[in-house]
Amino acid sequence: MSGLVHGAVYGVLILAVVLTTSGLWIWGERKFAARLQTRLGPTIVGPFGLLQAVADVLKLLQKEDIIPAQADRALFNLAPVLAAFCALGVAAVIPFSPDVIASDLDVGVLYILGLGALTTIAIFLGGWASNNKFALLGGMRSVAQAISYEIPLVLAAMVPVILAGSLSVSDIVRWQVGHHMFALWPIVPGLPAFGIFFMAMLAESNRIPFDIPEAESELVGGITTEYTGIKFTLFYMAEYVHTLVGSAVAAALFLGGWDGPFAPGLHWMVAKTLVLFVSVYWIRWSLVRFRSDQLLTMCWRYLVPASVLLVLAAALWVQLFPEFL
Amino acid sequence: MAIDGKISLPVVGPGDERERTYEHPLYKQLLSVPGLSLGVTSLDALLTWGLRNSLWVFPMATSCCGIELMAAAASRVDLDRMGTIVRATPRQADVMVVAGTITVKMAPRVKKLWDQMPEPKWAIAMGSCAISGDFYRDLYPVVPGIDTFLPVDVYIPGCPPNPEALMHGLLRLQEKVRLQRLGQFATPEPRPALLASTKPSIPRLNDPEREAETNEQQTADAMKTADSAVERPEATGSSAASEALSPAPALEGTTPPASWLESLFAAHGALAFPKDAPPLISADRHVALARALQERGYKQLVYIAASHWLAGRGRAGADASETEHFEVAFALRTVGRASQLASWSVRLEPGQSLPTLTEVFAGADWQEREQWDLLGVKFSGHPDLRRIMMPDDWEGHPLRKDYAADTHRAPWR
Repeated sequence: MSGLVHGAVYGVLILAVVLTTSGLWIWGERKFAARLQTRLGPTIVGPFGLLQAVADVLKLLQKEDIIPAQADRALFNLAPVLAAFCALGVAAVIPFSPDVIASDLDVGVLYILGLGALTTIAIFLGGWASNNKFALLGGMRSVAQAISYEIPLVLAAMVPVILAGSLSVSDIVRWQVGHHMFALWPIVPGLPAFGIFFMAMLAESNRIPFDIPEAESELVGGITTEYTGIKFTLFYMAEYVHTLVGSAVAAALFLGGWDGPFAPGLHWMVAKTLVLFVSVYWIRWSLVRFRSDQLLTMCWRYLVPASVLLVLAAALWVQLFPEFL
Repeated sequence: MAIDGKISLPVVGPGDERERTYEHPLYKQLLSVPGLSLGVTSLDALLTWGLRNSLWVFPMATSCCGIELMAAAASRVDLDRMGTIVRATPRQADVMVVAGTITVKMAPRVKKLWDQMPEPKWAIAMGSCAISGDFYRDLYPVVPGIDTFLPVDVYIPGCPPNPEALMHGLLRLQEKVRLQRLGQFATPEPRPALLASTKPSIPRLNDPEREAETNEQQTADAMKTADSAVERPEATGSSAASEALSPAPALEGTTPPASWLESLFAAHGALAFPKDAPPLISADRHVALARALQERGYKQLVYIAASHWLAGRGRAGADASETEHFEVAFALRTVGRASQLASWSVRLEPGQSLPTLTEVFAGADWQEREQWDLLGVKFSGHPDLRRIMMPDDWEGHPLRKDYAADTHRAPWR
């Protein structure tokens, strides 16, 4: 019973913090992007433009809710809710410290990978239900991308699972505590696996350079072309939450989670997550978009073979040098 | 709204009273709830604040004003400072900024995109072309100001307005949104003086006062203008040049053509080889000529151009006995270094059609459609002879010399 209460309290807390961070980051990203482009970003609405995201949400709430006449109404309405649900659901099994976790699932990694893949379904649903050629093209690209990048993502996540011998995210972090981060030791499957996981995570959350499902210069608005007001807000928010939660997963699986000297574990976990999160946006505003074929080529010709080799290396390491783990 | 609970509704339309009172059944009861009005007005103020501080732009940029629109989003002015970003899809935009000349063919598309934007929405006419058509105003394909079909909220004058002016316009729009939500803004009555000044000097096609003979008069005027325009080169040209270009002496000459190209032209009906005009080929042999040239390496169709000559006018050397005709000019070139150009033209009587070149050059398709659209030159055997520049239901061919300059289409004029 106390476990249930504990889970519920921390679940709500984590949800609130994740949502607030994503909301604040709408402002943060605009400032960050503006600085990279020698602009100022929001300065007028509120002190330092801090209330810009609030104004945006208030505005989007008041916009007319348009459902195209030829659209599939049920799926059209379901898609943004499903996208937001999948993105937020992953946050439930992420340990922010030994105590701050909503639900310590035994198969946490499996759950994370499953929900992450479901986001693609939500995006494709939105593209299909809109009955708009640009939205459908965006959805198609999204599926092609997800099928490709799911494989290196899962294989890269298998490396810490094999080394730690557990599917629970907390167990994996606990195993790293006092030893070393997986990204640093054993460095041969560890560091490349982290790199592949991070890249595949960028692709999963549709971020530049992998944002071809919503390439604005080709596809108008991609899957969100027909979405207005609050449903567009849900999609938009789901994307930010997905990136944030994905960064937290990468921090927990590869960077030692709450492990770190001089400061409480929660601080370390949050710091690692935010560093990864900001670097995602740094990459986003620095690079250009891949073409679809380049994207698939990179995945199938380089990342998939490399991640298979890494899983093999991890298995060999466990068998040959169990004392060096 | 009056404080006594009577809402005055302006009713537009002839025969109706200008004001009518209406009271909601719950109005009195709601007024007695303490603090309700305060809460409602505060909420409304908050929502209005959100609405006017997050104006996302849909860039309806068709020409040079669009460059200034882009510059306004870049680092010197930076519209993002006031929370304005550009959205590529109309579904997520609040303000349509029409930047550039809108043509009659474009206008229905603009209207469609406008209809796709969710309420509440606003429109900004950026630049003099969007406001009034500017110096393209009297051109046959140009819409004289987008407020003929869109409810424009803010006009930003300039040609083009600089980015600061656009930002100023957006600030004015914010102020307008605030006033609208406070109920202080009302659509101004149309001013009779203003209406008179926008009335055109010649009655438009949809004007019931327009007389039938106006069309004929316009046609005559246009022909007079065309004549005077044609006379100019003749006045400056020397008589020696016109003698050299006259076709008859060349026909008499028995000297063999200078080059294989000229002999090829001669074999296809060319009578003369003037220096500054392409040789005239007979209409029934020009496809064979194009094919022969293509076989000899002239693989690229450069252009198909046509001109319309009224009676008594024509290429240099024409005299008053000349009848109305078209001259269609073709040019091919070889591909590669030291490219060679070969050009010829075909004379067509009104109503005569020319065999299409699309069997030889696929690229002739759109060019022939353009000549059909703008000049009414018919191409027999063309697979898809539709209008390409003008809207499908356009009447007449605007580049003909007898096309009345003022025959604009009803919804826009």
